[in-house]
Amino acid sequence: MKVLTNTLAEIGGLSVFVQEMFSVAYRKGIKQRDVLEQVWKVFIQSFPTTAMAGFFVGGILTLQFTLQVKTFGALGFLGGLATSSTVREVGPLLIAFMLSGKIGAFTSAELGTMRVTEQIDAIRCLGADPLQEIILPRFLGIIFASFFLLVGGLFMSIFGGMLMGVLFSGINPEEYIRHIPTLVSKVSLINSVFKCFVFAFVLAAICTYKGYTASGGSKGVGIAVVSTSVQTMICLVFMDWFTSVISDAFFTVVGS
Amino acid sequence: MIQFKNVVKRFGERTILKGISFEVKKGEILFILGTSGTGKSVSLKSLVGLLRPEEGEIYIDDQRVDQLTEEEYLPIRKKCGMVFQHPALFDSLSIYENIAFGLRRHYDLPEKEVKEKVLRCSGLVNIKADLLELLPQSISYGMQKRVSLARTLAVEPEILLFDEPTTGLDPITTNTVNELIFDLSRELKTTSLVVSHDMGCALNIADRIIVLDQGNVVDQGTPDQLRKSQVPLTKDFLAEVLENESIN
Repeated sequence: MKVLTNTLAEIGGLSVFVQEMFSVAYRKGIKQRDVLEQVWKVFIQSFPTTAMAGFFVGGILTLQFTLQVKTFGALGFLGGLATSSTVREVGPLLIAFMLSGKIGAFTSAELGTMRVTEQIDAIRCLGADPLQEIILPRFLGIIFASFFLLVGGLFMSIFGGMLMGVLFSGINPEEYIRHIPTLVSKVSLINSVFKCFVFAFVLAAICTYKGYTASGGSKGVGIAVVSTSVQTMICLVFMDWFTSVISDAFFTVVGS
Repeated sequence: MIQFKNVVKRFGERTILKGISFEVKKGEILFILGTSGTGKSVSLKSLVGLLRPEEGEIYIDDQRVDQLTEEEYLPIRKKCGMVFQHPALFDSLSIYENIAFGLRRHYDLPEKEVKEKVLRCSGLVNIKADLLELLPQSISYGMQKRVSLARTLAVEPEILLFDEPTTGLDPITTNTVNELIFDLSRELKTTSLVVSHDMGCALNIADRIIVLDQGNVVDQGTPDQLRKSQVPLTKDFLAEVLENESIN
């Protein structure tokens, strides 16, 4: 019962926080320069790991699919199949997990430290709104950067898959790429971008909320970081299922 | 100038302030003394709207402030500069940008004037101009406290609030900060509220002192009045000071 009450209280607190953030953005505006700075920071911090993960995921999927497609004599579809899986499912979720581990924990710790060392109170006392000044730029920075990371990660996964295909599956690069447009439809791309933004929204909301509401000194910051990691992982898996259901239903209706 | 009337502040089931009342006159230096957890910092934070009391009334210049919205609090915060227990400097901004932060938010000033004010305030707290481009983490803790003071002074507040300004400082820097509080309050003619554990400093520079214990005001008066106080907590605070005086 207590777990349920706490969960509902967390969801309630998070919803009010997000609503307040949007209200501040509407009333006071968004500091575009700060947002761009955050987009750049998040992108630069996360691109090496995202690119490496994308490269190997593309490679692994290619190697895994090689056995199946060879059986049916459809090696030409290897690139399309591996890329389709990455675009539809693995890419957005992988980017979200990477961001959660790196940027989510970092943002939560940074904001938590600002809270317990009274920097957030100081911002209020100096006539600024902490939501506008530090939360919104980080929140939007994570969301926009995740799109660029997705694009970068997908290209790296295609490159990784192609390289593995050439080295281990005996397929040439042109053949690998030729059927990507055949199997990766516009619907898959839209679905991927939709998932990417939803995951980034969830991650950005949780990590900024947990950091902003941290209390109790360095221990409190630690608790905020741990709960950010746990909650984002749970929410991302749940949202992956939820967005799959939503997008399937949407494209079924649109398709029909 | 400042009035607390029966102010009550609770955190969950814990009542931190149990209906405290006191006044601060214009230009006065008031020290709030008490042991940890008695509500000293809560009083200061309630004054600037960082915390909202559940009951009671707080007035600044006859304006009731405890019920104002965050937006309505803006002019009040321009009037009240707060120096926090931690230096609370923004890590990603240089010392110059830290001092200019409040100026840029509260006033629409040309950059030349911002620079003049930053240099003047850093001079007031003895920060050399060549340190202004450094990041806060590259200077000492005592120096960070001075930057924090300069940042507060830059907004030219009428009321200065100090939340344990000498916590974590060595005795020499503590004396320097205490002297700064006294000199600045007199020079800039500000009203000052200082939360502290340091009775020795309070006796030296305060115009009046109030003593808080478990959310209640248990004693108040001028330094001379408090030296003769029979209140047990005040006597405990005085004992250490008198002991040091007898050693010297």
